[in-house]
Amino acid sequence: MPGPTSPRETVLRVERLGYAYSPERFAIRDLSFEVGRGEVFGLLGRNGAGKTTTVRVLTTLLPPTEGTAELFGKDLHRCGRAERARIGVVLQAESLDFVSVERNLTLYGFLWGVPREVAKSRAEEMLALFELNEVRHRKPWGLSGGERRRFQVARELMHEMELLFLDEPTVGLDALTRKRILEYLARRARDGLSIVFTTHILQEADQLCHRIGVLQGGRLRASGPPAEVKRRYRGPRTVEAGFERALTDPERTDLLGLLTRHGEKFKVVSFEPSVLTFQAGNAEDLVAEISRWASPRDLDVDRISVREATLEEAFVNLVSDDAPADPGPRSEFA
Amino acid sequence: MKLPPVVRLVVRNFEANLDPITLLVMFGQPAFLIVILGTMFSGLISSVGSSGSYIAFLVPGMIASQMITGAVLCGRVFWLDRRWAMVEQIFSGPFLRAEYLAALLITALLFSLVGVGIMVLVALPLIGVPGLSGFELSVILGTIALGSLFFGGLLIAIGGRIRSANLYFTIQSVLQYFLVFISTVYYPVSAKTPLVLRAIVYANPLTYAANTVRDAFTHSFGAGDLVAGAVLTGLAVVSFVLAVASFNRLELGPVQ
Repeated sequence: MPGPTSPRETVLRVERLGYAYSPERFAIRDLSFEVGRGEVFGLLGRNGAGKTTTVRVLTTLLPPTEGTAELFGKDLHRCGRAERARIGVVLQAESLDFVSVERNLTLYGFLWGVPREVAKSRAEEMLALFELNEVRHRKPWGLSGGERRRFQVARELMHEMELLFLDEPTVGLDALTRKRILEYLARRARDGLSIVFTTHILQEADQLCHRIGVLQGGRLRASGPPAEVKRRYRGPRTVEAGFERALTDPERTDLLGLLTRHGEKFKVVSFEPSVLTFQAGNAEDLVAEISRWASPRDLDVDRISVREATLEEAFVNLVSDDAPADPGPRSEFA
Repeated sequence: MKLPPVVRLVVRNFEANLDPITLLVMFGQPAFLIVILGTMFSGLISSVGSSGSYIAFLVPGMIASQMITGAVLCGRVFWLDRRWAMVEQIFSGPFLRAEYLAALLITALLFSLVGVGIMVLVALPLIGVPGLSGFELSVILGTIALGSLFFGGLLIAIGGRIRSANLYFTIQSVLQYFLVFISTVYYPVSAKTPLVLRAIVYANPLTYAANTVRDAFTHSFGAGDLVAGAVLTGLAVVSFVLAVASFNRLELGPVQ
């Protein structure tokens, strides 16, 4: 789903941004990243990592206490109605009015100054897109958790915007609905909508985001395209090597000795008579080593598979307590 | 053509947070009291000062008390907006905080005027057409406006500092009943009234508002009402400043 990576107009520039509740207690610190037009930027992190605070600062709900940010080229401190009119925000907290789902949509459109007829047709579009037609006459608090979340996203899309902040928009949604919403957002991004997206579901960040940032303890541990973050923080990968016949004991000892001597972090998961499964940091080198070892022994390697790391694995490696410090000079790749 | 942001917010306030039953109770209760109290006590109390009958005394007081009704509804809108994160949603949209505050205060005023209209309609068959001059009508509406600003601002200031719905609505109820009952809305203050109660009644801004509205009804507007108007104006300014200060320090985020 992610596509364009060419240079685009920057709609959001964040430079060493921080927010502190008190001089000793900061929620986010030293955040730097950019979001281009039509780009989807995902903010990942554990609970309390600072994702929601980042969204609240960038949507002008909280004033930054350090650093700078520019929204559409204007300093965040000076951003007002004009800049806020160009953004949309789906907050993590449920926000609703005490009218029916349908009226909530049109009333929100009215609040944003969307012409009545446009609001009406857009409400129909959103009700259909987010599968809310059946509950259109019900009050939002009578909806299920998933329906309420869909309603929140649908309502925000009632008005035009250039940058959309979504704070965990897919919490509580089933897989199919999530897929539909992500596809819709990807389509909007292709049409030029920039999106800042926080989520716990790493698979969807991997699917939707052009770039991601991983927050830990209020700081950005890493950022870049998902593939880049995965490559850099994937940790050991699992390799399965299947041989044409069972290996003899001397062959097993020889092969293990060779792999161990290779120096890469290497851990045997299992060694069945003809199948060796192991984890290694640099799997490609060891795969080549195995082929070279087997060749003079007239031993065919039936299959070798290297399972690619998932973003979840990279994320866990990044935010686990014993994770190594970010090796890069800065946490920004792109 | 887009309506001004404050107007859009006011329209939304009227619709968004207030269910018909709440409105029925809020406006129905004082209307009910005019009919029941007015009818029952008029049989017991032969005359009350310059008002004449008890019901003629009660109606202007109930009209003045609508500033409390308007303020309570405005406070309710604000609190529910906080409770359901609509304050944050609106603040992250194309609105200024000052516009949201202004819209709340205008909402209080408009609800008060709706209440006044309802009270007048209910009272008309009981007391007849009051025959107010343009000046007296202006005095009544001005007093209601100042009172709405004062009480609305006060409830917004309190609502902005509290993070618990239970506490807010308890304070609001206590304040509402305290202000209405310890005032001259239902009964006059005389030399026989205990000194402590008299002091509290005269410390209550609603007393001045009720007296001013009553004087307008009895065509006896005088210097005392001018002083009352000045005091109410001062209090409205103070209340507005408190509301602004509360807004500036408003902690966004979850409330219970």
